[in-house]
Amino acid sequence: MPLDFEITKEQEELKATVREFSEKYLVPRVAEFEEKRMIPPEIVKEMARLGLFGVVFPDKYDGLGLDPITAGLVLEEIVRGDVECSLAVTWLVHTSWGYVAYKYGSEEFREEVIRKAARGDLWVGIATTEPGAGSDLVSITTTARKEGREYVINGEKAYISGVREASEKGTWFKEGGGHVTLAYTDRSKAHRGMTLFFVPLTDPRVSIRLEKELGRKGWSWGSFVMKDVRIPETYRIGEEGRGFHVAMEGFDHARAYIALTCAVAGKRALEIATDYIKQRRAFGQPIARFQGVQFQLADHWSSLEAAHALAYKALWALKMEQEGKMGRFEVTRIAASAKLFAVRAAKAALDDALRWMGAFGYTEENPVALAWKAVKSYDLAEGSTDIMRLIVAREYLGKEYIK
Amino acid sequence: MGLNIVVLVKPVPDPKEPPKFKPDGTLDRLAMKLVMNPYDKYAVEAALQLREALGGTIVGVSMAPQHAVDALREALAMGVDEFLLLSDKRLAGSDTLATSYALSMALRKLWSRLGRVDLILCGMESSDSNTAHIGPQVAGWLELPSVSYVDKVLEVGEGYVKVKKLIEGGFVVLKVKLPAVLTIAGTSYVPRIPTLRDVLLARRKKVTVWSVDDAGIDPSKVGVLNSPTRVIRMWAAEIKRKGKIIAEADPDKLVDLFLEELKKDGITLR
Repeated sequence: MPLDFEITKEQEELKATVREFSEKYLVPRVAEFEEKRMIPPEIVKEMARLGLFGVVFPDKYDGLGLDPITAGLVLEEIVRGDVECSLAVTWLVHTSWGYVAYKYGSEEFREEVIRKAARGDLWVGIATTEPGAGSDLVSITTTARKEGREYVINGEKAYISGVREASEKGTWFKEGGGHVTLAYTDRSKAHRGMTLFFVPLTDPRVSIRLEKELGRKGWSWGSFVMKDVRIPETYRIGEEGRGFHVAMEGFDHARAYIALTCAVAGKRALEIATDYIKQRRAFGQPIARFQGVQFQLADHWSSLEAAHALAYKALWALKMEQEGKMGRFEVTRIAASAKLFAVRAAKAALDDALRWMGAFGYTEENPVALAWKAVKSYDLAEGSTDIMRLIVAREYLGKEYIK
Repeated sequence: MGLNIVVLVKPVPDPKEPPKFKPDGTLDRLAMKLVMNPYDKYAVEAALQLREALGGTIVGVSMAPQHAVDALREALAMGVDEFLLLSDKRLAGSDTLATSYALSMALRKLWSRLGRVDLILCGMESSDSNTAHIGPQVAGWLELPSVSYVDKVLEVGEGYVKVKKLIEGGFVVLKVKLPAVLTIAGTSYVPRIPTLRDVLLARRKKVTVWSVDDAGIDPSKVGVLNSPTRVIRMWAAEIKRKGKIIAEADPDKLVDLFLEELKKDGITLR
């Protein structure tokens, strides 16, 4: 019987509540996120009050215990209000990596850190990339050395979201935040010698540096250096040597939410562009009367509709995995397909939509341009488009064809 | 101790959606999504702030078909403790007089159950009919003092409430005996967005449904046939804007010409 696109009354009510927040707090201020390169702290605090940071964490740790599909419905309303996608980044990084940190974290860690994350008092980020290692994660150089009941971490992480917000206590989050950070505990074992740790960016031995991101400028982006940072062993996420695998699981979550973000930002921007071409006239008629534009419009709405449905399939796959009904590899493949397809569909749609708007489309505050820049970032982040193709190809061809 | 507060809430067709009409011209409420009357949110917010300051309980009361219960959950999510829904086919089509009578009977019964009611709060009007009748009429049936268009409740003391009431061009401060009926304007209170947890918990809060008989209502005083008001026809209002451009370079002359135009429409400046 199930296979149904209908949502429950409860989900509808949650969605309506987030929409109210989104229309009141986000829609009027999106251009400001970009211009000031900052999400106003009161918006993040209101999100925390509403419980938006606790959606997927279990009730036991002050979360709402909702499934990934319901979480997606929440995200959808955030993205509709903020096509610039800064808050989508804020929310989906925290939700994906916070969940994985909860799942593999120790009981002490859950009590101490996850509870704060679920309450919206602390933000959880992700740090795998380094100046010399992105897609090729085996080349990272960050190390973690065990000393008694602590780990001592040294290294540098680059192009990381939320470094400014996580390093400051009280401005956005009461306790600041930290990043789920990939390091070698045994360099000789390559990816089997990697381990994940939660590194608080409020630690005085962590120093940050900001980069200027092309789009989704509201949430900071930059690097951080860890110099003899000592963290308790309870901050290790998963077993030693399992870091790479746990990270891959986190990426599956993030990719499913990113697929949804791109589909929804693409659709919302296309709505705006569709309104525009009905108004704007050229050569004696509205632009929407030109068949060249109509055919593009039909293609893009169709592919975004498909991207949207596939994103929910990926979220459904995560839910199935949580219920023990689907294996890791299948989830990874569907999530990769969803991200691959959604990023492309949204990029293609917004590229044309921007052109329909002519010179006005190319202005900084134009919502289509804001969405276009945000979507483009996901060609690279959280596994590049080419890595998505490798994953999908590997799942269909078998590992003997792709190392 | 605290206050016992009753908030009257009306489910209305979602004002964000275009209205749908039946062939006879009345609103097709069944075909439209119902939401809590947006003006009632201010009354709920006022009640919540009073409860936060002084303690007590808030009971929501509504007269509506049973399927409207989803629209009332928003009030429960915001923080109303429980709901009493007056629902009976015999109430259908009641005008404001019959509605306020029915509500007042339910309130009398609720009153004896609670032992005491201190304040009855309402929105200043409903977004679908905008009569602003119900609050003052309920006060009339219950023989209670009533104040309409309250900007803010300033103080609740022993047996009285002090309110700031909006009047044309300003406000007055009134001290009123408790219990009282207040209709809350949308000027000072900012309705809170409920937290997601409260949205989920609202489904577990108590909603009691009363029929005409449960509330002790005289059926010969309610329903479309027993309402003195008759709706002859309903239609969507059409606003035709009249644009007129006065072309005059000299600002002084322009103002004179503008005033002339206003005079033609019967508007004069004193």
